[in-house]
Amino acid sequence: MAIHTSRKRRFVLSALGVITAVGLLAGCGSSTPGQGADEGKGEAGVTTVQFWHRTFTPAENAWYKEIVKKYNASQDKIKVVDTEVPGDAWDQKMKAAQAAGRAPDIYTHPGSIQDAVNAGQLYELNKVVDQAKLDEIIDAAQPVSQIDGKYYAYPLLLEPQAVLFWNKAMLDKAGVDSSVGPATWDDLLAACAKIQPTLAKGTYCIAPASDAGTFAWSTVGQQYNFAGHTALSADWSKPDINNDSYKELMSKYKELWDKGYMPKQALAAYQEGKDFGEQKVAFKVSGSWMMSEIGSDFKDMLTNTGVGKFPDASGGERTATTLGNFKWVIDAKSKNAEAAGKFLEWALAGDPANLVPFFVDTQFTKVPVRQSVQDAVAKDEGAAKAPWSKVVIDEIAPTAIPEPTYPWDVSLAVGTAMESVMKGAATPDAAIATAEKAIQTVIDRDKLSEKAPKN
Amino acid sequence: MTTATQDARRRRSERHDRYRYRDTKLALLMLAPVLLLLGIFVIWPAVYAGFLSFQDWSFYKDPVFVGFKNFTDVLSDPLFLATIGRGFMFVLMTVPPMLVLAYLFSSLVVAVSRRFASILKVSVYIPTIISGVITSIIFVLIYNYSGGLLNAFLGLFGIDPVAWIGDPAWALLAIAIPAVWLGMGLTSLIMVAAMVDIPTEYYEAAAMEGAGWWQKTFYITIPQMKNVFLYLLVTGFVAAIQQFELPLVMTGGGPLDSTTLPNLFIFNHFRNDINVGYSIAAALLLFVVLGSVSALVFKFVNSERLVD
Repeated sequence: MAIHTSRKRRFVLSALGVITAVGLLAGCGSSTPGQGADEGKGEAGVTTVQFWHRTFTPAENAWYKEIVKKYNASQDKIKVVDTEVPGDAWDQKMKAAQAAGRAPDIYTHPGSIQDAVNAGQLYELNKVVDQAKLDEIIDAAQPVSQIDGKYYAYPLLLEPQAVLFWNKAMLDKAGVDSSVGPATWDDLLAACAKIQPTLAKGTYCIAPASDAGTFAWSTVGQQYNFAGHTALSADWSKPDINNDSYKELMSKYKELWDKGYMPKQALAAYQEGKDFGEQKVAFKVSGSWMMSEIGSDFKDMLTNTGVGKFPDASGGERTATTLGNFKWVIDAKSKNAEAAGKFLEWALAGDPANLVPFFVDTQFTKVPVRQSVQDAVAKDEGAAKAPWSKVVIDEIAPTAIPEPTYPWDVSLAVGTAMESVMKGAATPDAAIATAEKAIQTVIDRDKLSEKAPKN
Repeated sequence: MTTATQDARRRRSERHDRYRYRDTKLALLMLAPVLLLLGIFVIWPAVYAGFLSFQDWSFYKDPVFVGFKNFTDVLSDPLFLATIGRGFMFVLMTVPPMLVLAYLFSSLVVAVSRRFASILKVSVYIPTIISGVITSIIFVLIYNYSGGLLNAFLGLFGIDPVAWIGDPAWALLAIAIPAVWLGMGLTSLIMVAAMVDIPTEYYEAAAMEGAGWWQKTFYITIPQMKNVFLYLLVTGFVAAIQQFELPLVMTGGGPLDSTTLPNLFIFNHFRNDINVGYSIAAALLLFVVLGSVSALVFKFVNSERLVD
């Protein structure tokens, strides 16, 4: 009898165990929200396309929402589902999606496409976008769109990544000419010497890049400005930073740091205009996009803001900025590449009227990548009220160099050297030696000399 | 020895075994759910990670076998070695101060009245239930260069603002403080529990012999709490060297990598690298480091059964 009870109890317990296990597992296996059960083919032949875009400034986010809405309303075969992903969450969200084989069909992509193309991540656009539309991309944007005639990305915009902004009132107060910015580094340092005594507590002369990561991407133009080349030799076989030009660039930042012209801890990120908008700095270095934040969040500052080239060290010979970009790409594993291509073509390569609000709402600080769009934007009545637009589009952008196509770790090694020298953690020689070693490691590890651009 | 006695012994042992292993099947059945989950979420990923650490894989192309390349890349990377060293430094900055502070705090708790002790226990436990991300944000506000609480306070004494999380000399310490603040609660409560468990007779006997506070502490309290210290040391070490959210939110690993702790280093590589092999190899190597140090701690500080 006792045995019987025990068996029954055992049976009940084991059944419970199995149920618990199944229940727990079922909980874990629930489907991801927002993903169709059969990869995008919904009811009645409507194809669903997943579109991820980063959180940018408010005006840009609004444009992304609107363009998707407009496209969905314009036809009934393709439904685009857009997801706005915060910038700092982008990488891990994307990696997790890729690892699970659930990357979105189409998404935004900054910087160079070289690495992603090598990894086989991007879909060839020639297959789904009309060739005539691809040919429309202006020359300056070609290097970020195609490799050897094969297109992998369609740019939305180009924008200079290092532009000098200044607070006219603060410059006037110190007796510094606020109608034009400082043309050279010496002018900038002289201006700061005049401005510093007039500053209130907690305010500073300039807020430039100040950490290794930001130095890495935002000063590539300045490296070119000082040295006439960037961190690698032309054949990518060795680092090319052990020279006086690189040391001088580093010493200039050290001077800003040592003399207290810049805050010892960034008041706002390089990309943001908060410190400038709140009038805590007289000069701010940022990308041209900062103007759209000033336009949306600090409207009163719009007329008090001067915009100009980043100070020069080459006697006016070379630019001091790279041209950043944001592109749309289609995932190589997308099952709806055709539909994604149609959406991309409609939004970026179609009617210029779709794109005009984007460039107008971002305060005319970005360069459209098609001549027809450039013309349409210039015709907008707001263009006349944005004098900085001319500076950005006609003076800065045309000579700016494209972003480097070598791996990020190379840029980061230079950025780290710049931060160490600036903060006095290492002498220029020691910092450059460390960076050279780090770059050489990357060259050997990734066999860079085989990947160097042909011309 | 006769066969009869041997037989009897065998029978007795069989009966004993049957008695002993009677519940094995049931035990396994009851363990099944957790074993299944462990298998799916721990064992299989670990095996798969081991497999991937020998491959070059980017999610888009088929993995390519590269032998030990990922491991040699990691081990020859001065940044990885520096990051492990920094992890140990962070352990030194957080675990000993936390243990000492928690010890002093729990000594206070057991010494005061019951009602006051409850208030103390609740107040020290509050940080534990606050999320690390919220803590990071609060401390970033405190450390803010221009307008932060700490610099404003120092300003009262005419001290110039310090770039707490912008200066490589201060940054690691600046994130160690919230780490101690977060970890204090649980550590203190465990110590309080251990102290309450020490029989009061020991202290009475010691008092009769004329022992003072120091003698009671060194000859009774601390030896009686040895196992608890061992536990706190190992868990504290593992938690500190794996600290991740504080540097991620507060400094992003900067300035000049001075707060890039091992997990953040691996995470950054996972985020930025096209191929995942490097990050996985680094994670497995960190696992080896953690395992060896924990084993060393256990070897040198033996846990013993307390005297009843």
